[in-house]
Amino acid sequence: MAEPSTTDADALMSAYLDKQLAPEEAAKVEQLLAASPEAREELDGLQNMLKLVKGLPEVEAPPDFYEKVAKKLRRRRGRGEVLWMLALPFQVLSVVMILVVAVTYMLLHLDHDPSVKLERDPAAKKAAEMAPVVP
Amino acid sequence: MVWSKVSRVTDPDPSAATPRVVDLGSVVEPDEPEPPPPDDASLSPQAREEAARRAEQDRRDRRLVRKLKEGDERAFQELVTTYQNRIFGLMLRMIGNRQEAEDLAQEVFIIVYRAIGSYRGEGRFYTWLYRIASNTCKNRIKYLKGRNFHRSVEIEDSPQAQLPASEGGAVVTFQSQVPGPEATVEGSRMEQVIQRELAALDPEHRLLIVLRDIQGLSYQDIIRITGLQEGTLKSRLHRARLALKERLQPYLR
Repeated sequence: MAEPSTTDADALMSAYLDKQLAPEEAAKVEQLLAASPEAREELDGLQNMLKLVKGLPEVEAPPDFYEKVAKKLRRRRGRGEVLWMLALPFQVLSVVMILVVAVTYMLLHLDHDPSVKLERDPAAKKAAEMAPVVP
Repeated sequence: MVWSKVSRVTDPDPSAATPRVVDLGSVVEPDEPEPPPPDDASLSPQAREEAARRAEQDRRDRRLVRKLKEGDERAFQELVTTYQNRIFGLMLRMIGNRQEAEDLAQEVFIIVYRAIGSYRGEGRFYTWLYRIASNTCKNRIKYLKGRNFHRSVEIEDSPQAQLPASEGGAVVTFQSQVPGPEATVEGSRMEQVIQRELAALDPEHRLLIVLRDIQGLSYQDIIRITGLQEGTLKSRLHRARLALKERLQPYLR
């Protein structure tokens, strides 16, 4: 959303009402108010509107507000624990499955590794040693 | 017409807290730096008093936050009790529906409870709380807009609004200082009108009006909450006020 420049004295009117302007900015607004009846009218209208809005009554939360918050927190915490308990067997199962897959893979991999095969089979090892070395 | 005084965020009601729940004297001092003492001679006595009260409130908040981080639920209770009216008020004025506002305000405190570990104590606690509240509220407005939410309960029609706080009602009174049924009816009607016209504003504009003109936050606090630049805040607030003034024109004298 594009914002209008705040150097525009008109846009400074609200800050003027809130006494949030530097002296030179306030002087600029006062100059505008003195020169322009429309600006003065707008300022009066804003003041009247603010009187209405600032007069809105105090709002109080219900007296059992904290109890309701605490109850919701307990309920959610309890739900979280139940979910965790329900999820636990699945988590254990997942770990076991990963281990099984890993071990199976390692065993298969070892079976295909020729150096391991030679170590396991002494006859094959001996044959490999006896074989003539090709230059 | 003069109505009952509006509570200000800069002026927390000490009676809203429950001093019995946490013995603040026994709490270890926080490690965050304390704000400088308000001894600026250029300030008026009133401003100095206000600054001192805010500094005390900040110290108290930091102690409670520290206790809450240590897992003390009583500290959480005290924080909720201290700020519940303001957060509920913010939600009610933003949403215009009492039940929705209460649910959202509760949600804000649940978020605070869960996220307190990530709050590093930089800046005031309540601006952090308000940032959570305003984001929660804006998200909710977006969601409700998407679902074409239009079951806003008019304040005077809500049965709960008629009950005093001691009987479980969220109190909303808007009447002249001269008691009487006519004044009450007129006050309720005006509140309803303002609430309706407020609800018709763009949510960004609405938020600024609620924070500044209804809850009385300072510009600096609003900047910390919304992340706006000072110039943008001034111009956007002005446009928001102009829009509301136009809508309330028939009721202005």
